[in-house]
Amino acid sequence: MAAGFKTAEPLEYHRSFLKENCRPDGRELSEFRSTTLNIGSISTADGSALVKLGNTTIICGIKAELTNPTVDAPGKGYIVPNVDLPPLCSSRFRPGPPGEQAQAASQFIADIIESSEVIKKEDLCIGRGKLCWVLYCDIMCLDYDGNILDACVVALLAALKTTQLPEVTINKETSAPEVNFEKKHKLNIHRHPVSVSFCIFDDSILIVDPTAEEESLSTARLTVVMDEEDQLCSLHKPGGTPLSGEKLQECIKRATARKGEIHKLIEKVIKSMKTAQ
Amino acid sequence: VSFLRRSKFEEGGMMEVSASNNVSLREFGCEQNLLSRPDGSASFVQGDTSVMAGVYGPAEVKVSKEIYDRATLEVLLQPKVGPAGVREQSQEQCVRETCEAALLLSLHPRSSLTLILQVLHDDGSLLSCCLNAACMALMDAGLSMSCLFCGVTCAIGADGDIIADPTAAQEKESRALMTFAIDSTERRVMMSSTKGSFSVQELQECVAVSQKASEKVFQFYRDSVRRRYSKNL
Amino acid sequence: MKETPLSNCERDFLLRAIEEKKRLDGRQTYDYRKLKITFGTDYGCCFVDLGQTRVMAQVSCELVAPKENRPTEGILFFNIELSPMASPSFEQGRQSELSVKLNRQLERCLRNSKCIDTESLCVVSGEKVWQVRVDVHTLNNDGNLMDAASVAAITALCHFRRPDVAIQGEEVTVFSPEERDPIPLSVYHMPISVSFAFFQQGTFLLVDPCEREERVMDGLLMIAMNKHREICSIQSSGGIMLLKDQVMRCSKIASVKVSEITELISQALLNDKAARKAGGKCGFAESMPQDRITALKMDQTDVEMTNVSQTGSGVILQGDEAPPPTVPSPVVPVPGVGQVGQGLQSWGLEEEEEDDDDEEEESSGDDQVEEVTQIKLSEKDKKEAAVVEISDSEEEEVVILYPETTEKSKNSGSRSDQKGAAASKKRQKK
Repeated sequence: MAAGFKTAEPLEYHRSFLKENCRPDGRELSEFRSTTLNIGSISTADGSALVKLGNTTIICGIKAELTNPTVDAPGKGYIVPNVDLPPLCSSRFRPGPPGEQAQAASQFIADIIESSEVIKKEDLCIGRGKLCWVLYCDIMCLDYDGNILDACVVALLAALKTTQLPEVTINKETSAPEVNFEKKHKLNIHRHPVSVSFCIFDDSILIVDPTAEEESLSTARLTVVMDEEDQLCSLHKPGGTPLSGEKLQECIKRATARKGEIHKLIEKVIKSMKTAQ
Repeated sequence: VSFLRRSKFEEGGMMEVSASNNVSLREFGCEQNLLSRPDGSASFVQGDTSVMAGVYGPAEVKVSKEIYDRATLEVLLQPKVGPAGVREQSQEQCVRETCEAALLLSLHPRSSLTLILQVLHDDGSLLSCCLNAACMALMDAGLSMSCLFCGVTCAIGADGDIIADPTAAQEKESRALMTFAIDSTERRVMMSSTKGSFSVQELQECVAVSQKASEKVFQFYRDSVRRRYSKNL
Repeated sequence: MKETPLSNCERDFLLRAIEEKKRLDGRQTYDYRKLKITFGTDYGCCFVDLGQTRVMAQVSCELVAPKENRPTEGILFFNIELSPMASPSFEQGRQSELSVKLNRQLERCLRNSKCIDTESLCVVSGEKVWQVRVDVHTLNNDGNLMDAASVAAITALCHFRRPDVAIQGEEVTVFSPEERDPIPLSVYHMPISVSFAFFQQGTFLLVDPCEREERVMDGLLMIAMNKHREICSIQSSGGIMLLKDQVMRCSKIASVKVSEITELISQALLNDKAARKAGGKCGFAESMPQDRITALKMDQTDVEMTNVSQTGSGVILQGDEAPPPTVPSPVVPVPGVGQVGQGLQSWGLEEEEEDDDDEEEESSGDDQVEEVTQIKLSEKDKKEAAVVEISDSEEEEVVILYPETTEKSKNSGSRSDQKGAAASKKRQKK
């Protein structure tokens, strides 16, 4: 009976749960799904992390390559994020060139890297105007069940934190780069942004960490990105139902709590790796 | 607790003094119904920034894009130089979802609406100008809307003061940039797009500034429509 | 979206009128519609209104490597964008027959006529030259897009200023407009396209057809000419046969129209130059008609700023009233894996006891949260200790199963650890 009701009237089905301040999967309105983080999942990448947010699974690998800096910014390296939503992760995606959602997600991740200055691009420069690092951050969705942005940001941050780059010096005589694989050092992560996404149901009910089904039934989406010093890096609401300043404040407040959770998680996991070694 | 709260208020009061001088909107203007082919058209000018908008529809829709209970809205943003890129796409998405929330799309099921925005000159606050031009063009096309909307861009300068409707030079120097779409009924935030990092206090102040500024824009909407339907100039 | 079809009676009416030497808008056979040229705020931006037809051209430039066979010449690039704004039948991002035709005609008219000195665009021979790009956007299509586009493009090219450059050794410096005055392009002559529409197999001819007339015409002849009466390009389309006399007559008409239009362009450029010199505001905002009831302008306005920060902090304080939610501590079942969240589902390893606890936790009210986290903390401590022990013992197991992974264990540690943990779990159950 319940299954039939869910298929025939999905919106009504969700409403009947929301009326009781809970959601079909048993969560409260402001409750995240359990978040699982695994670092160092890809041995061939310079840094990697796998994140599960309920069923949503995101893997992020970081590959560093040596390249020439651009003419406009000779003292800076650069970071190229890319979010891939392959047909593997959900039947809603088709093979071929990246769709609108994948492009929007890539743009969003690029904006966050830019706005929050996770990594100072100057740190990636080796020789001014001659040599710099380019970090390819490939983020792939393995299972799509809503709220990929939050999972992507956690995966990206954890992967960047585990990334180790070999020391590179420029030979003064031949001006050829010399890579010393023995000596590796960690990237300097300046700030730790954490993203929190919300959905609005029926123009009034705010829910956090929406599943794919909740996302498709909602009337608006909102993503707040905050770093450890309570500075906002992004408040992205592409449109939809209007929200008052007070409601925005509620979302920010939830984000403040969540960001502490994620920071603790990342720190603890990295620490556990160190003790295991 | 009450003591703490008061001291926080005073802090806010201090900041207001430094910010109040800079907040003004550049001159703005609008011309509606200036193109003969589209069903609705408008050009909106904010200082030197200007955007032209044209609306076609409701018209027949491609089967692949048909939605059974409402109209399909497509938004295209044409940059001045070169083909549209990823940045334009994300701005298109912002404008489209804002318009979708304002328009009563269920009045025209299985039909298409197309909104084309052409950038004529970019001197800062481009996204808010796009939103304003879009709203005026939708009004000109006579489409039913549940509310009007307007766009306001706020920049936070290096010294922390808020500049509303910044020019391109001011945008470049700013630490953070936020664009909000505000609805006309309750002055709530329909769309938000930000760049750079800022504190919660700064965000809420910018929302408040945008809400104040939106009243000027809505008054302008009202004046221009009144003028349009008046008998004399 | 499809173009609205033209009805038969409308078609008959139009053709009958043309036979009687009458046009819909009251023009004579050889009359152009009103041509209006305005400029944008930056250099190289030009708007052209030809009756209701409206186009915009924008010129831009960048430094690129030259073509291999022409190392000392700059590059000219033209693009007419048939924006869906101009007509519902134009589709975004699709190369239609019309757009190909217009683009080729514009290239022939402006590039192949060598009206711009491309050699002056060379900065370092074989290495760096200016690429000048002309984007023409159609805003409203009421017929004769070609003539409007050609006028807009050549006017924009005349109006454009490129940044000044200096070469010192191998270094190329590009100066901003504030540092050094930008330089205009050297334009040898101004080719302008004039279109003729033919009806009834060439019996009747009209200059500057509007959109309705274009839809009933049999053929089109486009002549691009400069004011020295030199033909730069001539193209006939639509498959009609023209007599030599007809072409000659058209070229005579074209020469008159071209000299009129060239005069207008020069005048517009002069006016704009004077306005810019006087320091007055120019551009699209200024060209907005003030006397129409559809247009309105508002001067710079101040926004009332009192209470703004009060409202801001008021909103924040309101939100602050609720106590901050407690942050649950993450759980690390095995090194390299961590979990956080209330409804902890284990990942790869089953922990039945845990699940039960969590369900209880969910059902418990908010006031108990702190207690619960405390419990969790201690639990986690226990578990962590347990895991560490296990991982010590399990190392051997891994060695037996995957002898080759011992060296790689740094990288693939998490994977083997996980397996080990699963194995150890079983042992725990025993």
